[in-house]
Amino acid sequence: MKIEGFYQISASPERVFQALTDPAVLQKCIPGCQELEKTGENRYSAKLSAGVGSIKSVFTATIAMEDLVPPTHYKLVVEGKGQPGFLKGSGDLDLQQKNNGTELRYTGEVNIGGMLASVGQRMIQATANMMAGKFFKALEEETKAP
Amino acid sequence: MIPTQFEYVAAKSLDEAITLLAKHKDNAKLLAGGHSLIPAMKLRLAQPQVLIDISRIKDLSYIKEDGGQIRIGAMTTHYQVESSALLKKICPLLPETATNLGDIQVRNRGTIGGSLAHSDPAADWPAAIIALNAEMVAAGPKGGRSISSDKFFVDLLTTALLPGEILQEIRITLPKGSLGQSYMKVRHPASGFAMVGVAVSLVLDAAGKCRTAGVGITGVGPKAYRAGGVESALSDAVMDAKTMMAAASHASDGVEANSDLAASAEYRKHLAEIYTRRALAAAAGRAK
Repeated sequence: MKIEGFYQISASPERVFQALTDPAVLQKCIPGCQELEKTGENRYSAKLSAGVGSIKSVFTATIAMEDLVPPTHYKLVVEGKGQPGFLKGSGDLDLQQKNNGTELRYTGEVNIGGMLASVGQRMIQATANMMAGKFFKALEEETKAP
Repeated sequence: MIPTQFEYVAAKSLDEAITLLAKHKDNAKLLAGGHSLIPAMKLRLAQPQVLIDISRIKDLSYIKEDGGQIRIGAMTTHYQVESSALLKKICPLLPETATNLGDIQVRNRGTIGGSLAHSDPAADWPAAIIALNAEMVAAGPKGGRSISSDKFFVDLLTTALLPGEILQEIRITLPKGSLGQSYMKVRHPASGFAMVGVAVSLVLDAAGKCRTAGVGITGVGPKAYRAGGVESALSDAVMDAKTMMAAASHASDGVEANSDLAASAEYRKHLAEIYTRRALAAAAGRAK
């Protein structure tokens, strides 16, 4: 499944890029992130309690950041596993200065397997959009702080 | 297909259910008809520790008309709505929506309140509730409050109900005039859910002009929505084929449509337009 979108944040690309690569900020912004631990250079392991409404599950995930070109681009690679299934995804994030802020574009591919894929298929896209929205909203709050 | 272990409590009254919910907080889920929650639990996609069964609360199951207002208890089953002689006469959109919902087993056990509180993006009720401008009455530890249908559906599986609140009643104020209603749906072949569902409630004046139009659409986006563009295109218009066709072209304005194995986003938007046109034509025909 492809996901893509963009979000406008009222902070400079430098500030946004720094926030996007700061584990403390990521932990606050990723919806349901309970733990985020550095395991290597630009590599993290995370525990997420993700879901919507009554549908919720705990996932363990590894997050890697690649092809870093501050402050305009990086590639995010996520692999997660939980009781209802697994997900693998990678996406490119591009930051561009626009109207005294930053326009953040993301495009990526997410693959989902297990129970999640067989029964949750019709809601996965909407869930992904909802979680991306929450993430960027939280990121905007974080980058507002001096 | 076996859920994790959970505790089960059957509440005898609304007050008892509110108290139980306040006690168990996030660990608890309310159980109504169980046609969304139980399958999710069997797949272990939902793992509540406590189930508070509110489906046995007799006081939450009724259909009444009182001074031009319809009041439906949240634990009224789909079948009770489908078979209500009163509703068939004064608000046929509700029985028509119920008839199109799930299968007979689902309609016998599932409840209107359970469906609304779950807010499945492809559930049938939200479309009708929006078209009818219904009010949702919620009961909580601090008393009751009313939530308009436009504010009730917040996002995918998310409503304006606060933790600790229970949906108690659905209220519909019937518009006066020549009423024409219709619900048109494309069923998902396996689940019976709406790939697209369009509910229309029109009031026409003596000259056949549209006085008010309510159009609710489900199945297309992450939540059911009011098709405001369609409604405003009909305001004060004579309901001829050309007008309805033009109005229906706004069916999915500004909506980011779902895409899945059954239908792409583009196809869903196409279906929304076609079914809006058909639902408008059916509703206008019934108003005369």
